[in-house]
Amino acid sequence: MLKPEEAQRPYTVSELSNEIRRTLRPLTAVLLKGEVSGMKRGAKGHYTFAIRDGQSLINAFLWADDARKVTTLPEDGQVFVFRGRVDYWSQYGTLRFVVDQVEFDDVGKLRARLEELKRRLEAEGAFAPERKRKIPFLPDAVALLTSPTGAVIHDLQETIWDRYPNMSVYVYPVLVQGANAPMSIARALRRCNAEGLADVIVLARGGGSFEEMYAFNTELVARAILDSRLPVVTALGHTSDRTIADLVGDAESRTPTDAGSRVVPKKADLQRQLDERRRRLDRDVSQRLARAAERLAVKRQRLLLLLPAIVRRRTERLARAAGELGRLSPVAQVARRQDSLRERGRRLDTAAAGRLAMAANALASRRAPARVERALAGRFAGAERALEHRAQRLVALSPDSVLARGYSITQDAESGAVLRAAAETRVGRHLKIRLAAGRLGAKVDEVQP
Amino acid sequence: MSEDLTYEQALEKLDENLKLLEDGDLSLEDALKAVEAARVYLKVCTERLEAARKKIEIRADPNDPTP
Repeated sequence: MLKPEEAQRPYTVSELSNEIRRTLRPLTAVLLKGEVSGMKRGAKGHYTFAIRDGQSLINAFLWADDARKVTTLPEDGQVFVFRGRVDYWSQYGTLRFVVDQVEFDDVGKLRARLEELKRRLEAEGAFAPERKRKIPFLPDAVALLTSPTGAVIHDLQETIWDRYPNMSVYVYPVLVQGANAPMSIARALRRCNAEGLADVIVLARGGGSFEEMYAFNTELVARAILDSRLPVVTALGHTSDRTIADLVGDAESRTPTDAGSRVVPKKADLQRQLDERRRRLDRDVSQRLARAAERLAVKRQRLLLLLPAIVRRRTERLARAAGELGRLSPVAQVARRQDSLRERGRRLDTAAAGRLAMAANALASRRAPARVERALAGRFAGAERALEHRAQRLVALSPDSVLARGYSITQDAESGAVLRAAAETRVGRHLKIRLAAGRLGAKVDEVQP
Repeated sequence: MSEDLTYEQALEKLDENLKLLEDGDLSLEDALKAVEAARVYLKVCTERLEAARKKIEIRADPNDPTP
């Protein structure tokens, strides 16, 4: 029973509802710890669930906008620390805890889960250096997987173009934070590989707390990196811990500047490198040609020096050949045989003389002189007798005896011819007339044949 | 042959030929061959440097408009 003084004007439902809301208003930015149950996703992208402890339960609501921003989406049976405000929905008469941030209840527990994932991946060899893909020395194009709105993308682009002014860059916008980030990153990695526009991927984020970096510690992202055909370079900022993405990635850097220098060489350096080689090549060529020319000149000089000697040697050989040819000719052969015959003749004579001498010696040695003397004496006596006889005949036949008888012998004075007929001379010729004693010179006055 | 080479591969070939020329005892004919090859690889390297066309392209995912 209401007392009269208490009988004030009653609240309308709306008035009371507003009163409740006003009363609950201080309960904003409240941290509430509890286990999640009955997680449901609404048609507009929001989530409804209950947060409970052992005795109590409070309904919770997560707007779609906030759901995209939270580090992780609550899952049934897990304990989280939620930040939010208490709100009263007057049209439904329900009280809700409207969540705007979700944090892991127990970071230690999360780290333990992370360590477990790390161990599993390590056992698979996911961190092994030999598994890592090689970062191309000079890529055709670079893919950047990062938030399209952050400073990271600007810094990366700046660094890349500073080092390599004509490098192509493809940006794959991804969520780098929040519950949808792992899926967003994994999908972009797959797309990047499928499109093949670039040949190296930079996965970047500007650092953050352990919770903010959560996506890079998920198995989903780790698997997407491992499955990538293209090498992945991480650039996740200065964080207290290396993420799993860093461990499975092919190269790790911290800042966008680091990442830029990992994936793109300095073009000016390469140009210097090529210029240096071009100079070496040109130098080598000119030196080589100079050396070759020098060697040729030396050879030419030697040839010039050797030429007369060569010609002389050839001439001598020719002369020898001509001599040989002459020796073999028929005329020369006949001459040679004649010489040879003459030589034999000489040798025969010498041999005969030798023999005769030898025979003479042999004769001498047999006391030949005495016998010869006797024989010769006999011969001489015979010859004397023959001579005597002949002398007598000679006297008988000699003209002297005829002359003594008054005959004379007339001879031509010039020719000495004995004249036997007058016709054998003529008038004027001189004659010699031999008498028995003395001679007369006469001249023919008359011829009477 | 040289068409498929990356910058790094072509540079390696270029260096091989340079080393042959500088250390090797090549005949003039072989040396000229090495020089010709080196020049080809040098050209490939130079072309590779200029092959990229500066551009930036955003490859947004039509199925994932969230970012």
